[in-house]
Amino acid sequence: MSLILRTTLPDFDYLSPSSLDELLALKAKYGERAAVIAGGTVLLNLMRLGFRYDYVIDIKGVRELSAIEYREGRGLVIGAAATLKDLENNEFVREKYGVLWDAVRQIGDFHLRNRATIGGNICNPTLQADTIAPLAVLGASIEVSSMRGSRRVAIWELVKEGGGLLLDPDEILTRIYIPELPKGSRGAYFKVWWIAGIAALAANIDNPRERIVRVAYSFAPSQELVEGVEKIFRQEKPLKVLIGDAINYIKTSITPPSDARASREYREHLVEFGTAYLLRKLLGVEV
Amino acid sequence: MSLGFRYVGQPVRRFDVDKVYGGALFASDIELPGMLWIKLVSAPYAHARIKRIDPSEALKIPGVVAVFTGEDFPYKVGIYAADRDVLARGKVLYYGHPIAAVVAESLDIAERAAEAIDAEFEPLPAVLSIEEALSPGAPVIHERLGEYRRASFINPVPGTNIANRVKLRKGDAQKAIGEVDVVVEETYRSDPQSHAYMETWAGAAAIRSDGTVEVWSSHQSPFAVRNLLAMSLGLPISKVVVHHLYTGGGFGGKAGLLLEHIPVLISMKLGGRPVFLQLNREENFYYMAQKPGFLFKMKTGATKDGRLVFHIGEYYLDAGAYADYTVNVIRSSTFMATGPYEIPHIHVDGYAVYTNKVPTTAFRGFGILELTASFEQQMDILAEKLGIDPIEFRLKNAVRPGVSITPTQEVLAEDAGDPAGVIRRAAELIGYHTPPQRSDEPWKIRGKGIAAAWKGPVQPPNAASSAIVKLNEDGSVDVLVGTGEFGQGTIIALAQIVAEELGIPVEKVRISPYRSTDLVPYTWQTVGSRGLYSDGQALVRALQDLKDQIKEVAARAFNVFKDEVEIRDGKACVSGKHGECISLERLALGYTFPSGETIHGPIIGRGSHVPSGTTYLDPETGKGNPKPFVTFVAGGVEVEVDLVTMQVRVLKAVLVTDAKIINPGLAEGQAYGGILMGIGLALKEAIGFDEIGALRNPSFLEYRLPRVEDMPVEMVFESLNVPQRNAPYGAKGVGELTALPWQAAIANAIYRAIGVRVKEYPITPERLLKAVKEQRPDIITELRKIMVGV
Repeated sequence: MSLILRTTLPDFDYLSPSSLDELLALKAKYGERAAVIAGGTVLLNLMRLGFRYDYVIDIKGVRELSAIEYREGRGLVIGAAATLKDLENNEFVREKYGVLWDAVRQIGDFHLRNRATIGGNICNPTLQADTIAPLAVLGASIEVSSMRGSRRVAIWELVKEGGGLLLDPDEILTRIYIPELPKGSRGAYFKVWWIAGIAALAANIDNPRERIVRVAYSFAPSQELVEGVEKIFRQEKPLKVLIGDAINYIKTSITPPSDARASREYREHLVEFGTAYLLRKLLGVEV
Repeated sequence: MSLGFRYVGQPVRRFDVDKVYGGALFASDIELPGMLWIKLVSAPYAHARIKRIDPSEALKIPGVVAVFTGEDFPYKVGIYAADRDVLARGKVLYYGHPIAAVVAESLDIAERAAEAIDAEFEPLPAVLSIEEALSPGAPVIHERLGEYRRASFINPVPGTNIANRVKLRKGDAQKAIGEVDVVVEETYRSDPQSHAYMETWAGAAAIRSDGTVEVWSSHQSPFAVRNLLAMSLGLPISKVVVHHLYTGGGFGGKAGLLLEHIPVLISMKLGGRPVFLQLNREENFYYMAQKPGFLFKMKTGATKDGRLVFHIGEYYLDAGAYADYTVNVIRSSTFMATGPYEIPHIHVDGYAVYTNKVPTTAFRGFGILELTASFEQQMDILAEKLGIDPIEFRLKNAVRPGVSITPTQEVLAEDAGDPAGVIRRAAELIGYHTPPQRSDEPWKIRGKGIAAAWKGPVQPPNAASSAIVKLNEDGSVDVLVGTGEFGQGTIIALAQIVAEELGIPVEKVRISPYRSTDLVPYTWQTVGSRGLYSDGQALVRALQDLKDQIKEVAARAFNVFKDEVEIRDGKACVSGKHGECISLERLALGYTFPSGETIHGPIIGRGSHVPSGTTYLDPETGKGNPKPFVTFVAGGVEVEVDLVTMQVRVLKAVLVTDAKIINPGLAEGQAYGGILMGIGLALKEAIGFDEIGALRNPSFLEYRLPRVEDMPVEMVFESLNVPQRNAPYGAKGVGELTALPWQAAIANAIYRAIGVRVKEYPITPERLLKAVKEQRPDIITELRKIMVGV
């Protein structure tokens, strides 16, 4: 590593495969020396600040990875290279997966969303990934592919602490699967800058036994938390009381990080009151 | 308001060039034949000794022409304190300090070569705060401070990190402490912030065969660049030509000499070959000077009837590694001392302090931003302690033109303006005494706040301007002025004055935004909202000269006396209703009689201006008259504090100035920009450093600028239009003023909303939460009760 402060994009070879096979072959060949680029809104900035890759493989040429498809009863499949704007404009995302739609429309600005992709958002290793918490409450799974084959796992299994995905050097995130939700389900996303994002989902509110209320955080999209909160809301108590119970449970279950953008203390405040705000809004509980 | 004027007072639209269509030329558009590219190389240390710089690998790369280091350029550059090295010499003084410059055939090659430079450093303890810099035994950043060239009014303290020490003494503040009923003692702070202008810096240089240095660069003031290059590099003025193009924003960050000396010196080393340096955004954060952080300590006393009696201040600016311009910024804060209020006893010590952080410079407001951000909170705290309404308290103490004695012990000029008027009107417009409407969401609390300020240009007594007006054969006019155009639109206001004086359509007036120091007349600098006042007065004199010549020629043509000729509607006419007229076209090159005999020749007016009555200040007391004029401004805001996120939103902002306005459209644009900038400085923007002094957020990804959604829903701008004597049509510029009140007005509004006072800018959600927990923990308890139910 040179002792010189970096301010420019280093040299790299740009590779632009046009099929999935070609893409996976290149990733298998170059492994960790290759970064995958989709919108480039994060990667290029990181490379200017010192992240080095000899190869940059552009997945936008692989058309099937940009598709967004909905099938009644089956759910939604999103290609990793679908842009955030594609998601924002998609009627199924807006109507059936409101929590994801709400998160996506709060990312960056119009121009950025035209370029940035959901795959890039999930994989980026430093910024707050605003799509991860919504995908966690939606029970999404992701497809990871390599020349060795594809595997499909729940999103929280591969998310690294501090951001990014735990992938093998030859693997690429290819698709996101979101199951069909019960009718009448709704969701919302609450965000403060790049400090923290909170996703919440609610369905079957009036029937405690089938009630689904889930919460996840951009810094902690954990299975345990999602399931823990859901369990609390299955109890036959007034929603107002359950919100208090859930928040107390959450406060003792997660430890928000402290970093250059915000302290743990501030994130704890957001967790407590942001979650309260979001759940009240979603469950229609007046203050 | 326009009093029968056709153009003065009208919102004439900009017609100089349409930037939206890419028609404007900027320094980054420069491409000279045979041009080489410069890339700077810098070190990732805040403070370190340079042990070795090895360019050998870089020099092997084909297309690399040369690599230079600090020892190649033994010059000190700067304006008020020449403390800047061209490239680091011996020591690295801040994170990102350039240590070498690579020159190559293309930017691409230069960038690659920059990475091939090998260097070795020995880290030194870094000084990262004002307190550290001043503590006994602190590492001294500039060991040879006493030897630097400096302006006569700058007083560094060699052997310490004090780049300038300024004193203001009026009355006897120590004695007056015993005479008051209430004393407020507080400390206010801010992080360093960024001008965040849109155009990153760029500059090209070439040397002509006769030795003339030519420079094209992004700057505010072409003549300042010329003079400072000449002074710093020991060149005759006659051998320096500076070309001014459109500049994409400055806000003080492009005042004075920027990095022009780097391409100039490199071109000199390379036989005059054209060279070009263009910074990217990260480099612009590292290499270009920023707005200093501050630490202002204040102790202010008043009697129980609400009369301010004394003010004692210690004002510190965090000047970073180079204090070049900041040594003068601290003078501005110190000599204005307080807000626009009369205080009989004032004692302020101002310091610009070196630290191992990014160099700093002027910023819109020039020291008054820092002062207002602090003193206007001080005023609200005092008012509360006294049990007096903050508006009444301000009005009671507001300076009175023609009566009050300023902090520098001069009688405030009779035509200074209407300080009480702007405060009263801003309070009215924001509805200060009417409680804000409650939000439907009980965790969102609203409050209203106000702040007032005064400001004049900070300039030496001999800050001169000049103008030339040429009458063309078609009756149009070309105006030559030296002032820079970087978005503020002064040239349109000047064109309006010309159109008004000559009675011609404003479209017939041309003031090119492009200028060269060898082609246009001198002006000192384009800073401090002085352009309209100073260049405007030179222009009015040039127009008088031009009109005088027109009348003389017309009088001879009509065979009447000169004072029987008047100029109206683009014609010279014999006075009286039915007087004969002759169009300006027919006079432009002189008048030709029917016989063919021609008189006078082309008509060209010229005018000069230098402010009268400003003086140097006494070094021990600050006594004297530092400013040709002052302008008063007050801003009011209504904010909404979201207790869930601790984010603050400005719902409404009102701004009132007393300046007479030439172009209300441009002034309104300045006001909107100033409001948004103020909101950013108040709530979002901070240049962050980590524990080793590395700049954490050198990009707009992490440096949080205000965005469109941060704009208040409602913005109101009003001017009381008080005419200034000796000003063109009584008018003054308002560019700087519009940014001044917001930090304190927002802080005061937050306090009035939730009873929490934050004395550190920006007031981020993080800082507000901390302050709420310290000052009003009951708010959190109550919030928990209503939101969580516990």
